[in-house]
Formats: sequence, structure tokens, C-alpha cells
Amino acid sequence: MTIVSDIMASVLSAALAAPESAHAVASAVEPGPWWVSLIPALPMLACILCGVCAAMRVKSKLPAWITVGCLGVSFALTVAMFQQLAGGRSVTVAWEWINIGWTDTHGREQRLLANFGFYVDSLTCLWMLFVTGLATLIALYASEYMSHDVGAGYCRFFAAFSLFVFSMACLVMGDNLILLYLGWEGVGLCSYLLIGYFYKKPSAVAAAKKAFIMNRIGDLGLALGVFLTFVQFGSVEYKVILEAAQPWIAAAQAGHFSEIPATVQLIPILLMIGAFGKSAQLPLYVWLPDAMEGPTPVSALIHAATMVTAGVYLIARTYPMFLVSEYALPIVAWVGALTALVAATIGMAQFDIKRIMAYSTVSQLGYMFAGLGVLTSTGAAFHVFTHAFFKASLFLSCGAVMHGFAGQLDLRKLSGVGKMKGWLVVTIAMLVGCLNLSGFPFTAGFFSKDMILAETFVTPGMAPIGWILLLTAGLTAYYTFRVFFRVFVGPKYFEPGDEAHAHDDHGHGDHGHGDHHDHAHAPETDHGHGKAHEFHPHAPGWAINLVLGTLTLCSIAAAGLYFMGDHGGWVGKMVHDSSAAIPAVAHDAAHAADGHGEAAHAVAHGTFLGMDPHKAMYYVSGVIGFIGIGVAFFLHYLGRTTAATANADKLLPMLGPIPRLAQGKWFVDEFYDLLIVKPLHLISIVFAYVDKLLVDGLVNLFGWIPRAFGSSLRPLQGGNLHGYAVQMAGGVAVLLLIVYLASIAGL
Amino acid sequence: MELVLLILVPLAFAILIALRPAQESKFHAVIGTLLAAGIGVNALGRFDWGSPASMQLAAAWDWLPAIGLRLSVGVDSVSMMLIALTLLLGPICVFCSFTAIQRQERTYYSWLLVLQAAMTGVFASRDIVMFYTCFEFTLVPMYVLISLFGSTNRKAAATKFFLYTFTGSVITLAGLIYIAWFNATQLESVGIETAGRWTFDIGALELAAQAMPANVQGWLLLAMMCGFAIKIPLFPVHTWLPLAHTEAPTAGSVVLAGVLLKLGTYGMFRFVLPFLPAAVVEHAPLIATLSIIGILYGGLICWVQTDVKKLVAYSSVAHLGFCILGLASLNTIGITGSILYMINHGLSTGALFLLIGMVYERYHTRSMKELGGLAAKMPVWATFMIFFTMASVGLPGLNGFISEFMCLLGAFQAGDAWGALPGGTGGDLGFWYALVAGLGMIIAAMYLLYMVGRVVWGPLVLPPGHDDHGHGDHSHGPLPTDLCEREIFVLLPLAILCLVLGLFPGPVIKALEPPVNNIVETIEAAGRRPASPGGAHAMATSERETAVADATAAGGDK
Repeated sequence: MTIVSDIMASVLSAALAAPESAHAVASAVEPGPWWVSLIPALPMLACILCGVCAAMRVKSKLPAWITVGCLGVSFALTVAMFQQLAGGRSVTVAWEWINIGWTDTHGREQRLLANFGFYVDSLTCLWMLFVTGLATLIALYASEYMSHDVGAGYCRFFAAFSLFVFSMACLVMGDNLILLYLGWEGVGLCSYLLIGYFYKKPSAVAAAKKAFIMNRIGDLGLALGVFLTFVQFGSVEYKVILEAAQPWIAAAQAGHFSEIPATVQLIPILLMIGAFGKSAQLPLYVWLPDAMEGPTPVSALIHAATMVTAGVYLIARTYPMFLVSEYALPIVAWVGALTALVAATIGMAQFDIKRIMAYSTVSQLGYMFAGLGVLTSTGAAFHVFTHAFFKASLFLSCGAVMHGFAGQLDLRKLSGVGKMKGWLVVTIAMLVGCLNLSGFPFTAGFFSKDMILAETFVTPGMAPIGWILLLTAGLTAYYTFRVFFRVFVGPKYFEPGDEAHAHDDHGHGDHGHGDHHDHAHAPETDHGHGKAHEFHPHAPGWAINLVLGTLTLCSIAAAGLYFMGDHGGWVGKMVHDSSAAIPAVAHDAAHAADGHGEAAHAVAHGTFLGMDPHKAMYYVSGVIGFIGIGVAFFLHYLGRTTAATANADKLLPMLGPIPRLAQGKWFVDEFYDLLIVKPLHLISIVFAYVDKLLVDGLVNLFGWIPRAFGSSLRPLQGGNLHGYAVQMAGGVAVLLLIVYLASIAGL
Repeated sequence: MELVLLILVPLAFAILIALRPAQESKFHAVIGTLLAAGIGVNALGRFDWGSPASMQLAAAWDWLPAIGLRLSVGVDSVSMMLIALTLLLGPICVFCSFTAIQRQERTYYSWLLVLQAAMTGVFASRDIVMFYTCFEFTLVPMYVLISLFGSTNRKAAATKFFLYTFTGSVITLAGLIYIAWFNATQLESVGIETAGRWTFDIGALELAAQAMPANVQGWLLLAMMCGFAIKIPLFPVHTWLPLAHTEAPTAGSVVLAGVLLKLGTYGMFRFVLPFLPAAVVEHAPLIATLSIIGILYGGLICWVQTDVKKLVAYSSVAHLGFCILGLASLNTIGITGSILYMINHGLSTGALFLLIGMVYERYHTRSMKELGGLAAKMPVWATFMIFFTMASVGLPGLNGFISEFMCLLGAFQAGDAWGALPGGTGGDLGFWYALVAGLGMIIAAMYLLYMVGRVVWGPLVLPPGHDDHGHGDHSHGPLPTDLCEREIFVLLPLAILCLVLGLFPGPVIKALEPPVNNIVETIEAAGRRPASPGGAHAMATSERETAVADATAAGGDK
């Protein structure tokens, strides 16, 4: 009996706690401790010091140690901030940034106030913990990875790297939408600078430009969203706007969206455009795979773990506004699910292992968006968290391979790396990462993905999304282990990349990795062990191994977070204490809205083929993961004797043109180019001619008329400098005379 | 007194330079501009920032008392900041010309100083005739700088610049004189102190102009915009600008982009908005539409340029479009953003012209076909280039963002669709104006990154004759491969200001708020206040008295 009553008590307290946390937003915002400002300030300091190093022409690893040190302290402060927080929320204002007021036509005082202030709640802490933690680790990794570039390039790399962490901290910690926008564009700049790190490579420059412009398209949506937020609420500060949205949640609960002003419902639609740009969702995802032109640590930190999750953060942060909009969350869910599927299909057909990882990032971000869309902000945040660790370790493993084999990334030219000497840590890190990514049971990725998958079936009307995501889960497991079975196991073989011959000029050549998949298969005659090239791969050193080991442990340990508390574990608690919490009532109401109101409780939970999705999903997704891995095993490991070919090749002809289309990324880039870029360029050229011939031509025509009859005045216009002064002084005198006469006449 | 000194000191040094031998010109120019800057710093200190809307540091002398003509100066915070920008760019223009100008130095530096005096005069004057005289007199030094020191097509460019802008501003003068005439002869006994007397005082004529019927204001708007729109330049009267910019020497381009274009926007702020509120309210959508066309059209033309300098010149058309959009939004955020834009554009675009000039001095080309990947050869230059490009593209944290964001937000707020929402200000612009203008943000990224991608990044390309072989590159003249200390010294203050204004714009915004709010109140009193439905549109002659009383009340708030 006591056990039963204990359970009852805990259930009751949980039930009571939920509404409490739903209204947590309304709880007082306290002034936070001053040292919170140091968390963004230290990376900025590191950036400045790296700049000083560049100016002093430092030729050592000093910039790396400065960066690692500053970021490490930043991480320690983040941990301290997290411990001090204890479920509350605080704002630390560093200085007043934008402050302008007026009295409107109704006599009310209005004010646009955006401080350089930092809003700290558990969602902030969740993000900052992995941002600063991973940044520190990856900076350490980069200290070794970038060592071939010691000097100006090294300083430039770490300056941009630190600036990125600063921007990301502003994005996540900013206490208003304009400071978020600063961080938002700031990370875009750093991404631009780092993608274009090998600036002599035209493909890198093009990729950097593409990333920035694609992001700017999203940024416009975000900016308009911020404008509309300000117009609607008269403020851009979270503490005001998140509370201001609360009254409408009740109406949204009842499904009475017509009672909510259209402007309020439009805000999330605009904000999500920004999120789609930054987080590489349809239709703005095409920049992310190209971003792999940057050095691998950058790909790991910016284009996998942190920056690309900014869109998820934005939606989670402004979740109350999404809850009160009729169409916002369904759009987010569908975009996420379709992105996940499309990116996975492309990832299956690529040969460049870094690009496969890039597409898997796009695909996993799709899961996160789908999670937000089906009302599991916890699942989305948990997936962000686990994904950050395992994707970072996957990228860094790929980077170690790339570094060791002189830029080789083609999975047809590498095989059995795991059996080579010194590659054990990398192989284990890769394996754990792959298991996580493919949702292998009891890995962190398994739990976080399941949380999203289950909720798609729970939320009525979202089951198609669930099926899409389940299919994608299978595809993910396949393409992930395709990489592992091709590169890390099987017969030992490698061909060095094209950096082998010019190793001192690492990455500065005019080669594009993007072209690898167009190559014919590697020549079979070269079926040696690479010795013919007189090239010796160098296994990673201590820094890379240390970082990979730590990340692997973290990504394994992340699974434990799931068991730290009910309702999504530790991350669930973090989300519940923040603005991303889903008010318990709203959750039910969303179900009710679809269940025609009266039968709210009967359909409170959707089912998965008649089973409770939460339980069924453990088995279903586990099985699907096994199938995916199994298929990869048969097609890419079993009986494979060469690096270049595998059983999969025999299957390809049966699929018709599909593999070629997928390999060509469904030709979306070409489509955009044809549909938008080319016409726009044509219009620009036309404008340039119109300007020259028509607009200026008319002016010239006007100019010709006085010249024609005023030829007697030619000496004045013939370049005599002082002529004009005299002419004008005369003109002014005449005008004054006229005025004078007029005054006499008037008087 | 400071204001008078700020005009007289550069003039005196200009005369000194003209009289002394050419080898002393640089020295006197440096002393003259630095002295002016010092006086400017003193003026900034003496300015009472507690009441930024009042006209301060005022001084006045009778000129032609019979017609009430006075030499009268005085500044509010807006004028003060623009004067500060002028004084900052003064020494920079002198320092950047040391190696570029090798002949006729006396002519060059003395006209440069005259130009500075004239520009200061425009911002400082409180009398429309003095304003107009200075406004027009800026043309002469600029004409000389372009036609004597420009590149190949300089004569045609200078002539077009002169005639085009001169023609427009004569019509502006006619409009201003009409207001003075109206004040002296038509406006009587309606509670305006100066009515019925001849005066050219800006404050007095403001009240007179506000008392005019809406249709007359409309005509005056057209007249004033003839001069100001060309100067800004607003689409479609912008075509003199790319030509003049491309042909002008570096310092000329810097002054042109930095200050001369702002004479037009300043004129709009000082005359068009407060003088003709009823007409402005009525025609704001038209002005905004033209500015948005400028943003998109100018931006897209930038994208297909091959001449770097022309690209930056056309980018001014696009950028100034944002500035005018802010003014046309007729609300506090928009107008404040617009004034900030005037300053910020002067800093970032001025710096871009300096940077292009530095490359031109070394390689004697501005063609992107002949220049590429300069980061490999000139890393310091490349760092500055990317920095100022980002300031220009409106990256948050740098100066350009604050102003661009505020201009767009102002346009967004100014929509009737928002009703009584707290952030809406009412007006005829709104969501779509902000959205379409916002596309300019994307286009700006496209053309500026296109430029950076070609010139700064990518494989190294140098014009023929500048191959990477000989280290002692004789063709550089006295200049090293990368920037010399003087050049860094020229760029650094601009970079620091970009950063400071981007991160700490608070004090500046605070100082701009009161004068802007005065104007916004004037406009609302005339055209938008719900208390007078229909606003000035329905105003008949018999109702004029009440309107004048309203306007006086609004003016009296200051």
C-alpha cells in the first residue's frame, strides 16, 4: 500500500508541478550576477588577443592556448551560472544598447529598449553548457589540426573561432530579440569567415558567400518578425513579450484561434523563416553541405553542433508565440520532416564522408524541427544536446581521417582505417558516433530520437510525419554505417588526397572536394597499400585523441540524462523551467482541437498501430535502426575486397536514374540557379543598361538643350575653375537683388 | 563663436596655402584641418547635451538688415553630429592624399579646405540664404577636385556633377525664397511674431511654411526636392553620382560620399519635414517608393559592376535609399535611424573609398578583372576591407546595423494596419514597404560579398606589369606592398568609430531623440492627429488660423 501511495503522491506532485512550470514564465525576473557578462566577454577578449597576435606576427601556438584558456573559463562560469540558477530566471544588463522613446498619437509613452543584457534561465544554461564546453574541446582539437598553418592563418582562425563563441553567446544569452539578432548575424559572419578560411580556393569563397546570402534571406524573415513583435507588444524584451503571449494561450487551448489577433499569429511565421535559414531547413538548406569547405573543426562546432541549432533555440525561446498561432507549429513540423527525408536521401548517395555528415546534420535538424512542431520541445532540445556531442565527434573523426590522409574524403578511396596503427581512438569515436546517429538502442541518440518519434504519433494529425521520420531513421542508419563499413573496416587500403604533394601549402591549392563524387571509380590497378605513393598517413596526436575520447564519453554519458528525472529526464526539467515549456493544458488542448473538443480525453493520446507510442517506439525504432545497419552491412561490408566497390554497386542499375539524381543532390542548386540567380542577374544587367542609356540618357538630353543655345557662354564652362565661382556669386547676387526689390514692392 | 571659427579657420588656411609655396601645402592643410577638428572637439564639449533640441552655440550678424538677411549660425544635436563627421573626415582626406596628389598641391589642398568650410557652413547656418550659399558653394571646390585631379573622364564627370546639382538646387532656392516672400507679404496677424516682416531665419520661416495650405506645400515640396533629391541622390535623379565618384580622386570620393550626399538628406530633415508637414504626410508613400526603387535598383546594378569604385558608388544610391525611407516613415525611430544612417554611411562608405584608393595608388586599376585575391598580398588591407564591408552590409555590432534596422523598423511601424498597437505609429507605409526594402539587405550582401570574393579573396590576380616577381616593386612608387603606417592611421579612427557607434549608440540616440520628436510632433499636428480628421488636406483658408495656432503650439514646445 505504501508503494502505491508513494506512486500516487509522485504522480500527483508531477501533475501539480506541470502547470506550475507552465506559468513559470510569469515568475519574477531577478537581476543576475555581474559575472554572467564574462561568459560572452571572455571569448571576445580571446578574439582581440588573437588579433594582437596577428599584428605581432606570432608564429607559435599561442593563439590556440589563449582561445582554449578563455573558452575554458567561460565554460566554468557557465557551469557556475547553471548551479546558481536553480530553476529561476535572471537578467544581467551590461549596458544600454538601443533606447529610444516617443509619445504616440494616443498620448502613450512608447519605448524601444534593447540592452546588451543577458537573460538566463534553464534553456539558456542548457545551450550555453554545450556551446562553451564543445567550443573549448574543439579549440583544443584545432590547436593540433590547424598546426600546419601556424602564423597569420592560425591567428585568423582562432580570432574568428573566438568571435563565433562570443556571437553564439549573445544569440543564446541575449535578453531581447535584437541582441539575438546581433548574435544571429554575428555567427553568420564567423561562419562566412571560417568557411572561406582557405580563401585562395574559389570553391571555398563561393561556399562562404552562399552561406552568408542564404542566411540573409532567413534573416530578413527574422528581422520582420522582430519588427512585428515590437509593433504588437511594444517591446522586444523576452521578459515582456513571453508574458504578453500568455493570455492567448487559453484561447489557443480551446482551439479558438480566431480570437487571437492575426498579427500575433503572423509573428512566428516570420520568425521561423529565420530559423529555417540558420538551421538549414527546406528550402534554405543548400548552403550547409557546401559549408564543408571550411576546416573540419569549424564544420564540427559551427555547422554541426552549435550554430545550426540556433533556429531550434529561437523557436524554443519564443515557444509561447508559436503556441498561440494556428499554423506555425504544423508548418514547422512538416518542414522539419520533409527536410529530414530529403537530406537523408541525398546523404545516401554521396561519396564525400564529410558531406554525408553534413547531410545527416541537415536531416537531424529536421528531426528537431519536427519535434518542436509536434509539441515536444523537450525532445527537440534533448536531440540538440545529444546530437551536439555525437555529431561533433563524428565530424572530428572524419577530420582526423582527412588530416591523416592528406585531405582524402572519398569513401571509395579509403578502407580499413581502423586496422591501421594509431587509429583506434578515432575508430571507436566513429563507431560510437555512428551508433548514436543511427539510433542504436540505449545510445543517447536513440532516446532523444524516440522522444520525437513517439510524440509524432501522440499528437493527432501528425502521424504522417511520424511515418516519414521512421523511414528516415532507417535511411539514417544505412548511410551512417555505409561510411563506417567502407572506411573503417574491411581490407586495408588508401589513396592519399591531393594535399599529399603540397603538404606545406595545406588546403591552399585550387582543388575542390566537392567534385569527388563525379570522379570515376578509383583505378583498380592501384590496389596496393598506398606505399606506391610514398605517402605515410600520420595518425592523430594527443590533442585530437584526447578530444575524441572525451566527446565519445560525453555522448555515451548523455544517454544517462534521460533517466535523471521524469518527463524527458534532465533536459525535460531544463525545458520545463523555461519559456519553451509546454503548458500542460495547452498540450491537451491541442489534442482536443483535433478531437472535436468534446472527446478531448478519449483522444488525448494518439496511438501507434493501436499501441501507446511512447512504449512502442522503443521497439519499432530500435528494429528500424537494426534493419538500416544490417542493409549497410550486407551492401558495404560483406564480401567487400576492394575499397572502391561493394555489393551495393550491383543494386544500383535496378534503381534506374534515382541514384544519379540523389547523387546530384536532386539538382536543387541547379534549380535555384536557373529559377532565381540567373534571372536576377539578367535583370541586373538590364538595369545597368537602362541606367546608362535611359535614365542617364534623358539627363543628357536635358543637358544638351541649354548647351545648344548657350554656346556663347562656353568660355565659362570650358574648365575655367574660377568661372563657376564668379558665375554663382553673380547668380546669388541677382537673386538677392530680386528679393530686395520684391521686399520694397511688398512694403 | 566656435561655429564661426569652424568656417573661418579652414578658409584662412585655404588662403594661406594658396599664398605659400607648394611644398608647404601639406603641412598647412594638416594644421588647418587638425585645428578645425580641435575647435570642433571644443564645440562638442561646450554643446549642452542636456537640451539637444535647442539651437546652441549661436551667433548672428546683420548682413542686409533691410530685408532681414543675417549671418546666423547655431546647431542642434543633429547639426552638431554632422559637423563632427565633416571635421573628422577633413584631416583624413588630407592624410590620404599625401602620395596620391603629386602636382598642383596648392590648388588641391586649398580647395579641399574651402570645401570643408562650405560644408560646415551648411550644417551650422540658421539663415536660409546663408544655408543656400554654402550649399551651392560646395559645388565649386568639388568641381575643381574632380576636373583637375580625377581620372580619365574627369572633365565630363565634373561638368555633369556641377550642372545637374546646380540646376536642381536653383529650384530649391526659389522654393525657399517663396516661403520668405509668403512670410513677409501674405502671412499677417496670425500669432506668428515674425509674420509680415522680411526674414530668412529658419525658425521663423518654419512656422510660416507650416501655415501654408496643403496644395502650396505640395508645390514647395516638389521645388525643394528638386535640389535635395538630386543631391542625395534619389532614384531617378542619381546618374551623376556613379560618374562623379568614379572619376573623383580618393579624397573627393570620401567627401562626396561622406558629407556632400548628406547635404541633401540634411536638407530634407531641416527643411522638408518641419516646413511642409502636411505635404510630407501626403507624399510620404511616393518618396518611400522612390527610395525603395533606389535600394533595389541601385543594389542590383552594383551586382553586375566590374569597376570596384563604381560598385561602391552605386551602393551609395542603395544605402541612401534606406536613409530616405527612414525619413519618409515620419516617426521617431525612422527619422533617428535616418540621421544615424547619414553618419554611419559617411564612416563606412568613406572608408571603402579610402581602401579602394589605396589599391588604385598601387596598381592603377579599379577593374575587378585585373584585381583579385589581394588578401594574399595585402593582409592588413584585406582585414580593413572586410571590416568596412561588414559595416556597410549592416552587420550587427557595427554601426551600419543600428541605422538600417531603425530605418526599416520605422517604415514597418508606419502602417495603418497596426491600428492602436503599441508599436504602430500610423502612416501610409507598413509591412510591405519594410519587406520590399528589406530585400535590399539581401542584395547588399550579394554585391558586397561579390566584391570581397573577387578582390580580397580567391586566387591572386594583378594587372599586367605587376607580376609577383620583383620584390622591389618600383611601380608602387613610395608605397609598400601592404598598407603603410600613414594609411593605417587614416583608417583606424573610422574603424574604431564604426565599432563604438555599433556597440554604444546609446548616447547618440539619446541626443537625437528630442529634436526628432519635435519634428514628429509637428508632422502629427499637421497631418495625422486624429483630432483633425482629414488633416491638412481639407484645410480651407478660413480654417487656416486654427492650423497656424496648432503649428505655433507645436513649435512652441521646443
